[in-house]
Amino acid sequence: MPGDRGETPEEADASARREDGLLAVRAAEGDEEAFEALVHRHAPIALRLATRLLGSRPEAEDAVQESFVSAWRKLPEFRGDAQFGTWIYRIVTNRCLNVLRSRRPVVTLDALPEPQAPDHEVSPARAAEAHAAVRDLARAMEGLSPEQRVCWVLRELDGASYESIAESVGISPEAVRGRVFRARRYLTEAMAAWR
Amino acid sequence: MAVNGESVPENEAPDDEREAGFGVLSDDELLPCGRKLSYVWEQVEAGVPDPHIESCPHCTQAVDALRHLEGIVTRTREATPREDPDTSALAGRVMDVVRLELRPGRTLPLGDEDEDTWIVEAAAARTIRAAAESLPGVRAGSCRLDPPATETAEAGETTEAAEAVAAPAGRLARGPVRVRIGVQVPLTWNLPETADLVRSRVLEAVDGELGMRIAGVDVTITDVIDDESDATDATDAIDDTGDSREGRQQ
Repeated sequence: MPGDRGETPEEADASARREDGLLAVRAAEGDEEAFEALVHRHAPIALRLATRLLGSRPEAEDAVQESFVSAWRKLPEFRGDAQFGTWIYRIVTNRCLNVLRSRRPVVTLDALPEPQAPDHEVSPARAAEAHAAVRDLARAMEGLSPEQRVCWVLRELDGASYESIAESVGISPEAVRGRVFRARRYLTEAMAAWR
Repeated sequence: MAVNGESVPENEAPDDEREAGFGVLSDDELLPCGRKLSYVWEQVEAGVPDPHIESCPHCTQAVDALRHLEGIVTRTREATPREDPDTSALAGRVMDVVRLELRPGRTLPLGDEDEDTWIVEAAAARTIRAAAESLPGVRAGSCRLDPPATETAEAGETTEAAEAVAAPAGRLARGPVRVRIGVQVPLTWNLPETADLVRSRVLEAVDGELGMRIAGVDVTITDVIDDESDATDATDAIDDTGDSREGRQQ
């Protein structure tokens, strides 16, 4: 059966990276079809990342679109010493960081409106509670600074290591730890206040 | 890595806090028991057992708050759809912009010296890569075409220069083009034979499909693919005389 090769994840990973490398070389030389293949391979994960970072699908789509266009322009200088995947996620992360920075000034916790009670008071209590908690968290995240939000989302929702976040954002792993810590402290306080 | 010792009474600060990985956190919070909040959470995240944290009510409270947040984070993650979002429209918009900003590369001569037909490098490269990839399991990467030396080129720069027909000022020179292609080939293939096969496929395509005069084809094997499913066709391909262009495996 085609595709049923019994590959281990590592082999599949190595094979995907090799294909990415090949496509990136071609795209850098002006092969737009190779670039289109790269867009199709990486857009879903990039969009998921951007949606988490920005909390808005339309804004995330714009950010991802701009990131890929920017990647096309920068490709001739892309040396291939980083993986294309790593490179594009770095571009998306920084694009999202800039979008967050350009939003209106961050509100303080006190200024955040208290979340409304769940719409369906009579629905099974646990489900409603879980739903409300997820919504509360999304709201509380609005109070994070752009830098805290990006580091925290990459750490908690994407499961990235401190080192890889540091590389993506261009700061030291210690600075990432500091930002994640502040984000956690802010969010625990916000969630406790609303509990 | 400096730890901000000033905000922590030395007799109460655990020595191993220096291992915790934090830099200076000027706004760190000191729990009533003397532990820093950052330290307590770091220990929990790293899964380091700490008898104090387990027995201290202040630490326990801090840990509970973090666990509560983690629980909601988990639910948030689970609430995200597992299937990939549909990005076909997004990809289409990206490619609309890309096609307005194409990089066609250099302009290269097609046909004989007295003709005035040209092709851009990216278009010629597409045909050449496809020719190389008509060999099963072969993947083509970089493909550059060096134009004949122009009038302004330094004497003796390339061997093709001598063959190039002098072009009027401001016009491109005509003459044979040099092809440099990088390929990935299956592990089980004989590399020199593979290079020859690639070269002959490329020459065939350049001559038959493009009508371009060629000074030479440099084949570089950039990677050897260790993948059994790609290697199964190796014998067929070596015997292949060129009539199974669609022989690439699915």
